[in-house]
Amino acid sequence: MIKRIVSRLIMLTVVLLGVTLLTFFYTSLSPVDAGQALAVRRYTRPTAEQITEVRHELGLDKPFAQQYISWLGKAIKGDFGNSYNTGKPIIDELTASLKPTVTLAFISLLFTALLSIPLGVLSASRKGGFADKTIYLFGIVCMSVPNYWIGFMLMLVFAVQLPLFSIMGADDLKDYVLPSLAIAIPTASANIRVFRSSLLEGYNSDFVMYARARGISERKIAGMVSRYALPPLVTLLGQSFGFTIAGSAMIEFVFSIPGVGSMLVTALGSRDTVTINACVLVIAVIFVAVNFLAEVINTILNPKERAYDR
Amino acid sequence: MTGKILRKPQAVIGLLMMLAVMIAVIYAPHLAPNDPNKVNIMIKFAEPSQQYPLGTDDMGRCIASRLIYGARISMSIALPTIAAIAVISVLLATVCAYIGGIVDKMFVIISNIFMALPPFLVAMTLVGIFESKALSIVVSIVIAMWVWNAQVVRTYVLREKSKPYIITCRMSGCSEIRIIMKHIIPNIFPHLLVLYSTGLSGVIIMISSYAFLGMGLETGTAEWGAMLVNANKLIFSHPELILYPGLCILFAAAGFNLFGEALRDICDPREG
Repeated sequence: MIKRIVSRLIMLTVVLLGVTLLTFFYTSLSPVDAGQALAVRRYTRPTAEQITEVRHELGLDKPFAQQYISWLGKAIKGDFGNSYNTGKPIIDELTASLKPTVTLAFISLLFTALLSIPLGVLSASRKGGFADKTIYLFGIVCMSVPNYWIGFMLMLVFAVQLPLFSIMGADDLKDYVLPSLAIAIPTASANIRVFRSSLLEGYNSDFVMYARARGISERKIAGMVSRYALPPLVTLLGQSFGFTIAGSAMIEFVFSIPGVGSMLVTALGSRDTVTINACVLVIAVIFVAVNFLAEVINTILNPKERAYDR
Repeated sequence: MTGKILRKPQAVIGLLMMLAVMIAVIYAPHLAPNDPNKVNIMIKFAEPSQQYPLGTDDMGRCIASRLIYGARISMSIALPTIAAIAVISVLLATVCAYIGGIVDKMFVIISNIFMALPPFLVAMTLVGIFESKALSIVVSIVIAMWVWNAQVVRTYVLREKSKPYIITCRMSGCSEIRIIMKHIIPNIFPHLLVLYSTGLSGVIIMISSYAFLGMGLETGTAEWGAMLVNANKLIFSHPELILYPGLCILFAAAGFNLFGEALRDICDPREG
């Protein structure tokens, strides 16, 4: 198992390096020149010399490779430079805006798991029955709408019609309930089917027949099957955590949460490339880290995969 | 195959919904009762009437007409996007998985790097890379999504490649290209159809999210996501303005999802 984790860690480093290069490359593709954008903000109508001066100051006149290496060297130490927009260090703003977003992602992860596991078990155990069909149909509906629209609908019902929740802000945990549900409902709908089909696959496999033949109680079998069926769900849950952080911009907009999604959208709007790079990199690192964690959990959960290493 | 599809009610409903969306796309000018972009402040928030079947919005524009034209805008971006994703992912994944060995290993490493960035993040970063906003959206979604689809196609190809009939083909002297084109692709085609049909609904949602963040098309375009941003301010006074565009997205996306999922059940009967 340790050998497996080490080889995965090497792959992870390669992936992370690739990610930094991709991030840097993607932002450099934009036709809007960051130097010009900043010069316009500083001098309103900049002359050609002033633009060159700003570009030099930001190091944008250097070759791509050199810019990338100097950026990477600083980024590893957590120094992302100062925002072109506000002039303040990006890392401060980033840590402040990550807090609500990560909270949002954690609570939605919790809701997603709370919805997917019982409903997945229910539809697998009542295969083809009324509950299964209802969950299936409801799932298709929820997968076919944007999560921010579900957010609006929840807000209309639970904040406007029945004033149980406030419609904006992220002051206490209660404010996170509706936005997290809006994210969790479509994610869970997709997870339920995966969990259902891996549960069914588990029940149809040989080890269950053998266990039944040996007279092992159905309850113990259920435990064995859910252990067998859990890994794909863990992978999906890990992935959805990252997707939530990356796609939080819409939900943050609907519920006025000052998170990393809205920070990124603002930065994109003003072509504040250093901030964009920092946000994208941090989100990607979180995404990769959580996926890796999910993989480690799966290796622990699944004895079969451990056995391969011996 | 066609018979099986037609005997499954879910697939038929999905197909009919897809057909309805396509009719709205093609015949929008005939179906829409009014000009979708005609502003008339005098009649803002008009009640539904003969002239304006769903009433008017805060600028006095006909809601029904805007919704119908919205289908046109969504689909005219979503269809080329999914087509490009399909071509790129099938081509790359099939060739790499079929050749195997070091080529396939490189493909896995590179796709791992690309998959380390969540698709919506990539799409947002890349928006605005071209003059034309529609083209930017198409290209950015393609760059964000190709790898996720290629990964799935790769597993299909690997599974198909190991089947005995492919070995028989090789022994009887089929060329590699012929095996890929005449045997592997036709055999995984139903699975691809499932992948891209459900993928299309994802793209429709992604396009609306773009517009919702104000990063999509020109402001004021009759696009479902853009209509939702506009309605955001009016959630207390006119919640119906939020309801309608969402229901349109639901209808369009659910059609492709229903059809895709029904097809999946037909392809993989043991999972159902």
